[in-house]
Amino acid sequence: MSGGEAHVENSIWMRAVLFGGVFVAIGLLAFATMGVGIANVKHVAYEDAIHEYEDAKYAYENAKANNASDVDISALKEAKDFAHEDEVKAHLSYLTWRTAGITILLMCFTYASFIGLGGFLNSVFPDDHGHDNHGYGGDDHEHHGSGSPIVFSLGIMLFLMGFPSFQATLGNMLSGVDADLGDLGLSMIGLLFVTAGVANWWREDLPFIGNNEQIATETDEWFAGEHIRKAGLWVFIMSEVMVFATFFSSYLRMRTEWCTEWQVRDGNENCAAVDTLTASDFLRPNGGTLDGLGGTGDFMTLLPGAINTFALIISSYTIVLALKTAKSKDWQAPTGKLGKIMPTKKAAVRNYLIATFLLGSMFIVLKLVEWSHLVAEGFTIGAAGTTGQAASIFYVATGAHGLHVFIGLLVMLYLIFKADTVGYDEKNGQGIEYFGLYWHFVDLAWVVIFPAFYLY
Amino acid sequence: MGEHETSGIFESLVEKLPGNFDIYFWNFVILMIFTVFEVAAVFFDTIPLSAVWAILIGVGIVKGYGIAAYFMHLKGDPRVYTRTALFPVLFVLLMLWGIGLSNPGAVGDLPAWCTPFSDGYATRR
Repeated sequence: MSGGEAHVENSIWMRAVLFGGVFVAIGLLAFATMGVGIANVKHVAYEDAIHEYEDAKYAYENAKANNASDVDISALKEAKDFAHEDEVKAHLSYLTWRTAGITILLMCFTYASFIGLGGFLNSVFPDDHGHDNHGYGGDDHEHHGSGSPIVFSLGIMLFLMGFPSFQATLGNMLSGVDADLGDLGLSMIGLLFVTAGVANWWREDLPFIGNNEQIATETDEWFAGEHIRKAGLWVFIMSEVMVFATFFSSYLRMRTEWCTEWQVRDGNENCAAVDTLTASDFLRPNGGTLDGLGGTGDFMTLLPGAINTFALIISSYTIVLALKTAKSKDWQAPTGKLGKIMPTKKAAVRNYLIATFLLGSMFIVLKLVEWSHLVAEGFTIGAAGTTGQAASIFYVATGAHGLHVFIGLLVMLYLIFKADTVGYDEKNGQGIEYFGLYWHFVDLAWVVIFPAFYLY
Repeated sequence: MGEHETSGIFESLVEKLPGNFDIYFWNFVILMIFTVFEVAAVFFDTIPLSAVWAILIGVGIVKGYGIAAYFMHLKGDPRVYTRTALFPVLFVLLMLWGIGLSNPGAVGDLPAWCTPFSDGYATRR
């Protein structure tokens, strides 16, 4: 054990396993209350609404068949339309709770397996093994890089090789059809490599207290004196910019040919009528309609996307506060109620990170609730005409963004664990800074995606 | 996200504002306010499409700058990071022009080999 690192007992990793257990409990509790309890109540209401609509529809058609007076038919039609609206609302309300419950369950299970498995793998090492000769060697060690990213990348490669059949195999398994497990197995082996790589990465980083950060040498003309990890992260972020640029350019290519409600309303001479519905037609007020779909948006349908936008901005600020607190040399506990939540600098950094984590998790839950509503209203990749294209690029672009948020949340789990154990201070706070750069980029991508896909 | 101090118009304005809040707080407040503008714009049917576009792009630029310059701390960090951040801009512009805007035929004009279900993937399986 060198003097350049914090001493980390292997038993401390069992706390990560405990975290995993807590996530399993939270997931099960959320699923039981939201996904089963409340959702079942909502489902009963939905079934009642269906019956009421069927009764209203029958009464209306019966009145028409029996040549009832126009006044009666008009009243019955109005009642039928109201019943239909109630049925749709009841369905969406059921979907909200069911989707939220299932999403929280799946997210918590993923969190639990990620942090729990990583913690368990590290806890079985004998003490002091691995503290020397790893990535961030102590004062008396020559610094060298970590091999963990290579293991991690190999895992990602295997996972993606098996991924094309991943969904189909899972679907077959769930529906009782004989499934070819070959590709799924390859993906699972890939995930094992990913977990091992990440666990080892954590093991290398946890004792790091800021000594011997790798610095670019003066032979590097541009980055001389800069932290290599920071420069590397910026290059990574720029590669991510290219990924999102491909989605956006594909969207632009398609969008220039569609006749959306915006184009028609604006008097575009090439657009006599709406031929494509976009997500915004289902989300914003006065959206376009086509073949009985769309035009269902109001303030409430736009709300999840708007809340998510605010959530990402707030989470960007909380991560800034976490870094600012960690880097502060003369930090003082706030007075009042905030002081009870953040009595020490270590607790303050951890709690700001937890706030960021909760906001990010809320983002994913709201996004999937929103998706479930859009699918229920007919905005699917199988929708007729170019609406299917609009749905396809919408789900790919917003899904890729959501995936980035979720990966960020998995990384943040480790940051919270480190903040709770070794802690962050002015010497090793750059760990939060580098993660913050990624998190701000995710926010930045949303700045483009939200207006382009949700509002316009 | 660095610890360097920055200077500029926004910084000097922040110094004059009441309370003991730093530049990150005011940047956060501005981002929140502009997001309200962004969301509110689509609720006004009377605004012409070009005005909505202008609002959305304008707000996007302000928000993008606020996040990149202050939260990601490009303003204050060595210039090499800004250059790194600007490096892909050329490729992004090429992509937006070359793919996004050069062929208004959208997916209808794509060659068959890159159109799903045209001759390959679905029928082969």
